[in-house]
Amino acid sequence: MFALVIFLTGGCMIITNNDWVYQKFKDSCNVLFIKGSYRDVLVKVRDKIQEGHELLTHPLSSSLKPNETPYKSIIISENKGTLNFDSVYIIENSIMSYDKFNKNKLINLTDKIIEDFKLIDLTVLESALDI
Amino acid sequence: MLKVVHYINQFFANIGGEEMAHVPAEVREGIVGPGLAFQQAFGEEAEIVATIICGDSYFNENLEEAKQTIINMVKKYSPDLFIAGPAFNAGRYGVACGTIAMAVRDELNIPVLSGMYRENPGADMFKNSIYVVSTKNSAAGMRDAVKKMAPLALKLAKGEKVGASAEEGYMPNGKRVNFFEKERGSRRAVNMLIKKLNGKEFETEFPMPDFDRVDPNPAVKDITKAKIALVTSGGIVPKGNPDHIESSSASKYGKYDIDGIMDLTEADFATAHGGYDPVYANLDPDRVLPVDVLREFEKEGKIGSIHRYFYTTVGNGTAVKNSKAFAEEFAKELLADGVDAVILTST
Amino acid sequence: MKLELGSIFIKDIQFAAESKVENETLYVNKEEVRQIILEDQNFKSADVELAKPGESIRIMPVKDVIEPRVKVQGPGGIFPGMVNKVETVGSGKTNVLKGAAVVTTGKIVGFQEGIIDMTGPGAEYTPFSQLNNLVLVCEPIDGLKQHEHEKALRFAGYKVAIYLGELARNLTPDVVETFETPSIIEGFKMYPELPRVAYVLMLQSQGLMHDTYVYGVDAKQSLTTMIYPTELMDGAIVSGNCVSACDKNTTYHHLNNPVIHDLFAEHGKTLNFVGVIITNENVYLADKERSSNWSAKLAEFLGVDGVIISQEGFGNPDTDLIMNCKKIEAKGIKTVIITDEYAGRDGSSQSLADADASADAVVTGGNANEVIELPPMDKIVGYADVADIIAGGFDGSLHADGSITAELQVITGATNEMGFNKLSAR
Repeated sequence: MFALVIFLTGGCMIITNNDWVYQKFKDSCNVLFIKGSYRDVLVKVRDKIQEGHELLTHPLSSSLKPNETPYKSIIISENKGTLNFDSVYIIENSIMSYDKFNKNKLINLTDKIIEDFKLIDLTVLESALDI
Repeated sequence: MLKVVHYINQFFANIGGEEMAHVPAEVREGIVGPGLAFQQAFGEEAEIVATIICGDSYFNENLEEAKQTIINMVKKYSPDLFIAGPAFNAGRYGVACGTIAMAVRDELNIPVLSGMYRENPGADMFKNSIYVVSTKNSAAGMRDAVKKMAPLALKLAKGEKVGASAEEGYMPNGKRVNFFEKERGSRRAVNMLIKKLNGKEFETEFPMPDFDRVDPNPAVKDITKAKIALVTSGGIVPKGNPDHIESSSASKYGKYDIDGIMDLTEADFATAHGGYDPVYANLDPDRVLPVDVLREFEKEGKIGSIHRYFYTTVGNGTAVKNSKAFAEEFAKELLADGVDAVILTST
Repeated sequence: MKLELGSIFIKDIQFAAESKVENETLYVNKEEVRQIILEDQNFKSADVELAKPGESIRIMPVKDVIEPRVKVQGPGGIFPGMVNKVETVGSGKTNVLKGAAVVTTGKIVGFQEGIIDMTGPGAEYTPFSQLNNLVLVCEPIDGLKQHEHEKALRFAGYKVAIYLGELARNLTPDVVETFETPSIIEGFKMYPELPRVAYVLMLQSQGLMHDTYVYGVDAKQSLTTMIYPTELMDGAIVSGNCVSACDKNTTYHHLNNPVIHDLFAEHGKTLNFVGVIITNENVYLADKERSSNWSAKLAEFLGVDGVIISQEGFGNPDTDLIMNCKKIEAKGIKTVIITDEYAGRDGSSQSLADADASADAVVTGGNANEVIELPPMDKIVGYADVADIIAGGFDGSLHADGSITAELQVITGATNEMGFNKLSAR
């Protein structure tokens, strides 16, 4: 299903709205920073998948609900190939999942909480890059 | 005491079978036919104040008029609840029960309840809109049906919280409701696995979304020679919608001639679909049914030809069963007309 | 492998000058417990509180729940590779303080969820309302990093649980249950007629706050592997997971894994319970592929006829669950999966983030989005200020009187995906 293209070609791209991830990886990886919401990241990833990029990490990584954290980082392949239907399926389902959560929780986040969310997002991403 | 109005067909009113299905709606004070069983089950808590009887053919053939007449009849009694049926496996009766129950709820804003066999076409059509209790397939199951329907009826009439489908006996309606089972989940999983291993029937607690996967046909050998037809569920129809295809829950499809038409324009075509913003489809119906591009391809020799007719319906909440029936019908025509491939567009 | 599990019933918990168990009461010397916590220099202060069934107490935010146990006979100690040496556990004798638990609380990250109400409607949804709980409220030193805080709190819980479990070492259990798993060949000879069943236990493993440890190893770094069911009863698997309160598997769940217990109950009668396959839930899609390939391969290798698959967490684990199910079914092995649902507040949204037609036998722990009213409690144990964040979801969810309107997902263990509870949905 998900060919291990990344190990053969080494190319991956991070799409994120988390500036911590951007700062940490901008020099070593291809990072696309989205000035926008969690959903904007999902949608950008969907666009990229439709162009032929392959999804490498699960868009709903971490069990934080989409209405809890405002931050999201997703890894896709740097190379484009033919449309990967598994990637399409997962990203579409993830957007649907995102949309069913009530987003009001994200009002009034303190600085500490925002930092915690950025950290969690970063560490979850690192756990994927670690392998 | 709670007041209930009961709807039944000519058969259950003892007027007659199919030969009497034409009788128009009438209202009788008090209980008729199966109402007796309900009344016994309600005891002192509720009373059936009136029974409305309508022939199945009459209802279905004079839909709007029948609906209005019956709603007026119900209104007069200002009941706390409206029960239609149970219809068991009687198809037209089931559809009538669902239709009138939904209309009464929407117009008069009172709770409604029906009962049907799971394969009654009315069940598929209405189980997600109103509470439909699952019954046996014939009137022999009346006692069982009343046993399930009466307690739910009282709950609805009193405005009490309705539990999960598994507890209350109504057909799953797409709304998941929590409740406490008798055994914990792991034990239920073990029981389910034992049944599955032994080839016995088991019931999943969460049915997966329906996957009706179709294996693709082999590729068209030579597209430059192929005759291609257009079929859409996007509702593109000649302006004015001559066959009155419904904007949702379509019960029919249309077949229209596009001989010599190079481009679908705002002047001649529009969408009948009620499920999406029609502005862009109406401005240029080719956006949904790409006649213009295919004509170009035809001219350039990229495809053989376009089939003279296109088939269209509205996919907005249309029952899968209906869609299948449409396709089974016109697929034969397409084959007979020598069509090699079909482009299906949706919205 | 054979384990005798002895339960000493605990019906009450009290502070006392001496820690001991007497007449079904667990007496705890508060100061000794505090000192155990404060051995760790990462904590500047520690408080210990009691919460008993029926009391008007709300505990939040809960990190982990741990049952006190002690290894009485046989190799190793409870929580091998974490607190005790990496010795293979799961055989001999183990005593349990049944009805007692250590609950750790702490604001590791600002948004943590996890409520245990000891009475009222909320109590019906969490199994931990039925326990005599010793609640640890530990204050970290300033500037302690989140992952160090998580680790310190995790270990505080284990150490206190072991301290309490030690009190049961020389007691005579009220009930002794024996669990035995023979070798594959012996088992096959013993029950040649019975269908062979394995349990596929999915472990949350996605990085900080989302980790599970097996003999001290972070599960995300492990390939899918096998474990004897009794090893779990001695704490071979522990939780480091702090998110998704309703469907995270606490250490208590791992110690008392309900699927293992219910499969043992049928072992030798209607089925032959062969063993447990443990597999992870990683972020990387290629990992998901690899791990589920291995689950299917091991199930095939064991020659089983059926498996039960349990899950942990929300969202992407649905993909692991479905991959495991699909691939195992494809081997001709029958599956039943246990999950929970996020079907929206009105229950009408798509419940899972993934689906497949082969998942035709599903047990659900309920819809975690369903809204519940939690009345005010007389006492809050833990950190009252998190109520704002836990509930702070929608308009007026935290009310002036302390009552909370929230989704079920804030309650610890409410929609457990091991099937620990009776809650379900249709």
